[in-house]
Amino acid sequence: MLGVSTLGPVGPVGPGGPVASAAGPADERDAWAILASIDGLGPIAFAALLARYGSGRAVIEDATRPGAAIRLAATPSLDLRDEPPDRARRPVGDVMGRVIADAVQRGAHVLERLAEVGVRVVILDEPAYPVRLAKVAMPPHVLFVTGDAAALGRPRAVAVVGTRRPSTSGRTAAGRIATALVAVDAVVVSGLAHGIDGVAHETTVRAGGVTVAVIGSGHACVSPRSHQRLAEAIVRAGGAVVSELAPDVEPTRGTFPRRNRIISGLSQATVVVEAPARSGALITASWALEQGRECFLVPGPIDAPTAAGCLAFLREFGGAARIVAGVPQLIADLGLAGTRRGADAAPVPSDAVVAASLATLGRTEGTIAQALLEGLRTVDELVAATGHTVSAVLSTLALLERRGLVAGLHGRYRPDGALLGVARMPKPR
Amino acid sequence: MLAVLPSATLHGLDGRYIRVEVDVAPGLPGCTIVGLADAALQEARERIRGAIRNAGFVFPPRRISINLAPADLRKAGASLDLAMAVGILLGSEQARAGTEGVGLIGELSLGGDVQAVPGILPMVAALSRHGIVRVVVASGATSEARLVRGVDVVGVATLAEAAEVVRGRRPRRPPVAMPRVTIPGTEADRAAGTAPLDVATAVPDLAEVRGQGGARRALEIALAGGHGLLMTGPPGVGKTLLARTIPGLLPPLDEAAALAVTVIASAAGEGPIRMLRRQAPFRAPHHTLSYAAMVGGGPTLTPGEVTRADHGVLFLDELAEFDRDVLESLRQPLEEGRVVIARAGRVTTFPARFQLIAAMNPCPCGFAGTDDGRCRCPDAVVERYERRISGPLRDRIDLWATMPRVPPASLVRMDEPETTQVVAARIAVVREHSRRRNRGALNAGLRGRELRLAARMRGDARERVVDLAEAEAASGRGTERLVRVARTIADLDGSDGVEVRHLDEAAFFRDAGQRAAGALAS
Repeated sequence: MLGVSTLGPVGPVGPGGPVASAAGPADERDAWAILASIDGLGPIAFAALLARYGSGRAVIEDATRPGAAIRLAATPSLDLRDEPPDRARRPVGDVMGRVIADAVQRGAHVLERLAEVGVRVVILDEPAYPVRLAKVAMPPHVLFVTGDAAALGRPRAVAVVGTRRPSTSGRTAAGRIATALVAVDAVVVSGLAHGIDGVAHETTVRAGGVTVAVIGSGHACVSPRSHQRLAEAIVRAGGAVVSELAPDVEPTRGTFPRRNRIISGLSQATVVVEAPARSGALITASWALEQGRECFLVPGPIDAPTAAGCLAFLREFGGAARIVAGVPQLIADLGLAGTRRGADAAPVPSDAVVAASLATLGRTEGTIAQALLEGLRTVDELVAATGHTVSAVLSTLALLERRGLVAGLHGRYRPDGALLGVARMPKPR
Repeated sequence: MLAVLPSATLHGLDGRYIRVEVDVAPGLPGCTIVGLADAALQEARERIRGAIRNAGFVFPPRRISINLAPADLRKAGASLDLAMAVGILLGSEQARAGTEGVGLIGELSLGGDVQAVPGILPMVAALSRHGIVRVVVASGATSEARLVRGVDVVGVATLAEAAEVVRGRRPRRPPVAMPRVTIPGTEADRAAGTAPLDVATAVPDLAEVRGQGGARRALEIALAGGHGLLMTGPPGVGKTLLARTIPGLLPPLDEAAALAVTVIASAAGEGPIRMLRRQAPFRAPHHTLSYAAMVGGGPTLTPGEVTRADHGVLFLDELAEFDRDVLESLRQPLEEGRVVIARAGRVTTFPARFQLIAAMNPCPCGFAGTDDGRCRCPDAVVERYERRISGPLRDRIDLWATMPRVPPASLVRMDEPETTQVVAARIAVVREHSRRRNRGALNAGLRGRELRLAARMRGDARERVVDLAEAEAASGRGTERLVRVARTIADLDGSDGVEVRHLDEAAFFRDAGQRAAGALAS
């Protein structure tokens, strides 16, 4: 230790009454958690503070003593940006210094709150920190995690991201890719947004796989709110929800692009399913390339707005970005083929899981599932095609939906879960 | 000289017997009205003065005191005009009283014409309860007044005729002059009785709604069981058209309900009323209506939309566009079947046992969920739009139907849909049958033990209820809702007990929020 603690004045003095007897953080992890919870303290300042004080605990201890704001603001730059020393901006400004000093006084509350929300902290210095993410430029110093933190560091992890407003074929593609990844034992990483992200997480959970959601807000303000239950389901299924932000940080415009670097950083490759021009998913793809990871994009028709971003990206980064030419091909390109049960099954997500869930379907369920696979979507279409009564179609759809084989939104129904993995129903026995 | 005449005012939905006492005495010329008369009634002085002069009489240049008894009851409206004017004529001996106890109800014009007022039916009923056997009303309101049995109704057109009747003579000409030409939808047309009474526009047949099998089914279940229904879908899928078929689908009202509905229509000023309203009310207020228009109120305590929809259907199109206050005001009527209005010292209770049927778009622009990508609403906006429907209101909606856009090709391909006649017959049978079993209540009114008894579920059905409740982490209330709807579906199926397939179909129509939860929990 630097021994700074012996230099302080004796006894609790100070203009603001007794200083909250800094029953300093028990260990280094708590210290980092407190520092990472400070609004506006980014990775650069964090690194500079650590370099100067040697440890997070030392920063906290110094910050609780009088005059801390000025001392903190004097933290020298780490020169991360290769700027000449005289022009380098100070990493901790005067205001920030005061903010840190103030925030540290409330350190105990931060830790209490973490315990309350049930969030675990993983710091860059410990072995539990995911190795792949540690390798990228400016990794988050602290990860706030709910669920199994070990899921973050699994050897096989692929990000599946895309637009919030996918077409039906985009949803199907995302579902099939996720199912295929589960079949080869890979973790599916995504961003918990509506659309492709949601499909990727949901399908993985349903297929019994592990998935990691990287959120652009704190754990107590999951956005969109409607995905709160999805987040809980991910954790129940052995996955994790991770954020670099403290539990009560609300999402803003800037937080989502920033978290995208974590999505790509946690993954060996990133797959973009559908992206219109200027989609956030393309930012994730760019990060993947920058971090030296592989990047795949699902192509689409040249006149489809949902494919415009992918196509433009493929054209721009033709050498580095790769095209998804079918789900089995993708698995092969990722180098994941031939493992676990992928070896003997030609269409990747088939067999046991699918068969088990489809085998139990009755005749009515079978015909309706088949009609859905053929692209029919509304109740009217299903009634006309199958010849069942309206009430039979309705009760069957409710049943299929409950079993996770069908998803309905705004009165349109599409195959989901295990049904996503098959081209047509097996012949009823 | 003193004249005493019976009359009545409208107090909410009730008629109140009022004794009009007129004293014309020597003294400084003037006219005073006492007995808690409101501002509109004070204006009656000027109307009466003009009416008496223009009807060929003389407004007596003497001291006139009018007392309205009972003195502690606040009186409003113009229904006492006629009685006060005739009282002045009697008091100044310009007319003579031949028969005692003739009740007079009507508003006067400056020209001396007698006009109909809202609430003739309850007011005449009030006079009848006080032993009045002969009542004078405006000639346009005679058929409404005659709905009260045992009262001799005389229609008059002018003040002079009214004075004659008081004297004991009958007017010679027929009370109502029938219009010779009727224009559809006009007041005269409705008076002639050629158009349906409370629906200005024609009711479309259910066969005109193409496709939307799911929503049609939801509507049939809702009307058969009295369940609340919310239809969601982009513009142009037929939500409003479907709702407009409702009047044709509801069975006629029984005697008691018809009387209640007619009294409300009368008090709300929907006249002229020619017969008891046997058709269940269908009210479709616009989403810009005010709080007072929804629950009722105003200086004369006019019944609001929730009361005018009593025994019928309140259809709220564009549900999410209604003011929050207006939607919140539906809580009490939905829970208690009545609405209490407190206004400046007066508290009135109106009945409000309506069935709620509503429609809304999935998002502010309306196009969420269509494949063409027309919807540009951010996710948060779509979520907020759905959340405008607050918890208590959600609880009262048993059926949630989503209506997708129907591709033109499938419109052509589809079979001819069922007509109103066929579906209405099924609905009527189920309503009658379920009322018998539930001791007068529709299935939507079943709760707790009554519901469990009525459901008559076997073991496998009970297990399915448990499965469904667990799958959706549904509250007790949510589970009850499911069983209630399943009860109605079973009734439509002619089944004695609720079976598994009925529960499955009921699960199809559950709340969108629950649906999302259920999908993940499995």
